[in-house]
Amino acid sequence: MGYERKPKLLMAKHILDGHDRGVKAAMTIFRDMGIEVVYIIFRKPEDVVEAAKQEDADIIGLSFSSGAYFEIIPILMDSLKLNDMHDIAVVVGGLIPEYDKPELTRLGIKGIFGPGDDLMRFADLAAQVAGARVS
Amino acid sequence: MFDQETLTAAERLNKEWAELLEKIYKSKDYSSKTNSGIPVKPYYGPADIDSLDYEKDIGVPGIYPYMRNNYGIHYQRQTWINQPTHGYGLPEHTRERMDALAREGMGGGYTGGRAYNLVWDLPSYVGTDPDEPEALGFVGKDGVSCNNEEDFELMLHGIDLTNNNIVLINTDTIPVFAHFIAYADRMGFPRDKLRGNTMNWQFTGWFFPSMLWEPSGGLKLATDLIKFCCEEMPGWNHTNIEAHAMSEMGANAVQQMVFAISTAMAVADSCVEAGIAPDAFMPGIGYQIAQCNDFFEYICMFRAWRKLWARIVHDRYGCKRPSSMHLRVHTHTSCYELVAQQPLVNIIRSTLHCLGAALSGTTAMEVPAYDEPIGIPTEEAAVLALRIQQVVAEEIGIDRVSDPLGGSYYVEWLTNKIEEEGKKVLSQIEEMGGFVNAHKSGFFVRQCRENAARWRREVDSGKRTVVGWNKYKINEVQIPKPFRGDPETRRVAMERIARYKAERDQSKTDAALNALIVAAEKLDKEGAYGVVMPAAIEAAKAKATMGEISRTLQKVFKWGTQYQPLNTY
Repeated sequence: MGYERKPKLLMAKHILDGHDRGVKAAMTIFRDMGIEVVYIIFRKPEDVVEAAKQEDADIIGLSFSSGAYFEIIPILMDSLKLNDMHDIAVVVGGLIPEYDKPELTRLGIKGIFGPGDDLMRFADLAAQVAGARVS
Repeated sequence: MFDQETLTAAERLNKEWAELLEKIYKSKDYSSKTNSGIPVKPYYGPADIDSLDYEKDIGVPGIYPYMRNNYGIHYQRQTWINQPTHGYGLPEHTRERMDALAREGMGGGYTGGRAYNLVWDLPSYVGTDPDEPEALGFVGKDGVSCNNEEDFELMLHGIDLTNNNIVLINTDTIPVFAHFIAYADRMGFPRDKLRGNTMNWQFTGWFFPSMLWEPSGGLKLATDLIKFCCEEMPGWNHTNIEAHAMSEMGANAVQQMVFAISTAMAVADSCVEAGIAPDAFMPGIGYQIAQCNDFFEYICMFRAWRKLWARIVHDRYGCKRPSSMHLRVHTHTSCYELVAQQPLVNIIRSTLHCLGAALSGTTAMEVPAYDEPIGIPTEEAAVLALRIQQVVAEEIGIDRVSDPLGGSYYVEWLTNKIEEEGKKVLSQIEEMGGFVNAHKSGFFVRQCRENAARWRREVDSGKRTVVGWNKYKINEVQIPKPFRGDPETRRVAMERIARYKAERDQSKTDAALNALIVAAEKLDKEGAYGVVMPAAIEAAKAKATMGEISRTLQKVFKWGTQYQPLNTY
């Protein structure tokens, strides 16, 4: 992949969430794409923002098998704003019904990768975000 | 097994077939591999199973080693128990679904009552009460938020616990079991007549990445529970070996069988060391087994598993009771192979998995609803899942003949082959020093993840067809309305637990939790088994929450994400 700068992705799963077959598969595929991937388990949404700051991540990827996204994402987005981290993209993966996608987009989520979705889309997003952050 | 005349004829016919292959098919190789990687030929015949001994290797239903069926007569009398998992929201919400499914024919058991296969929410899986900050977003979402014996009354009122099976699906077994027994005691049900299942996953759970007990400590806790059950609740099925979750994580048919048997042996060895008689604890160990694609491989796996387990129980543990040697199975058909695209097609997949398990002679079954990749099942989807089992059980004649595939050249060959492959991996685990070492080294997790990655690559490359995902796609995106629980669930659960704590005699609760620590120390330091469970029940009766019981045990037994093997990602 021809990246201006190697994109860095912070993948995060809540400590209660458990099932990780999908996120682990996605991580392998993203690494194959030339993206640097760091994985954390978090207790509070603020932990993710802190980790993203420390890692200088371009993208935060949250994985949900549990339907907890509408509680966790607003807190996370607020925390990003508070920390002046406006140029970081947040994507979600996992069990996300079609029905919920419009509301997630409205909350500021830049990509949704549910079961069977094409992970190759992520490459373009990653290049775009990482490129924008360099300039 | 076959006479010389048959074998000679078979050899001659095989040669003719080989000539056909050369002439018509240009000697192209049409062999393939099962999903677990076992090479298979285009057809099988007598020569492939001639080395088998009919009496030792095949036999009849109901006779040791039970490969063809645990029972001499099975479905002819009663088909398997139809027991889907259910649970969400508050206890009264789950009760609504319990009643709805029961009305639609769920759970008719072998003894006349019903089976209620109840699942707890994620916070309670890891000793977190609903009023704790980490529980935000998870309360009542993936299971019921039933947090104490008062909640049990809201969920189970009016149900005769001596004539119905209550399954408590929760990794953190001791606190939930303690409150269940506290409820049963209060309702006046004799403990030795209670029926149901606990998971007892205290020493395992590597298949559910989150927080775990350190496995050696977890084994002590699991054995303590088993000793208590053998003494006070002999009808209770104390331990569930969760092979299905291993399969969901990536284990193939052979791996599922062997990782599960290894797990069972670990707890059985621990019980023997604790001085519990094998024939006392063994019947209470049951398996939860995945039935997946590669239709024939999973049937053969099931048969091989019955034989392998019966032999181990007989030879290694010296058991005499048939119920000790029986592979007691709850089938949980495949979830990871269900797809969000064109979700109704999942009904077809689940039907085939159900058929596979029925042909295998399973004892109980749950089939996921078609909206499994979307969320908690809607009532409509959950009822359709019941109907799958009902059609297979009651309309197609599956109940007439036990082990109907027995004697098939392919099925007998593959069953034997899977047993051979399984024994190889079991030896590997023994060489590693057994289950605990294999668990800690990350062996199980690594194998599962490698398989899962390989499966995903095959799907992404198109090498493995998944209808609707990588083939036969449609452009129109279907948007079924997902199931939604009551949004007030968390608020109500928090109010209830606040009131529960406020109304209790705190000094009594503290005393009971201190007594629990003493019991836990006795178990850990003095090898005193069967002492923690009674102390946990007393703590439940003194109105300690499930989270408080769990955290008290964590003061003695190590717990955390660091006990999740391969904690580097």
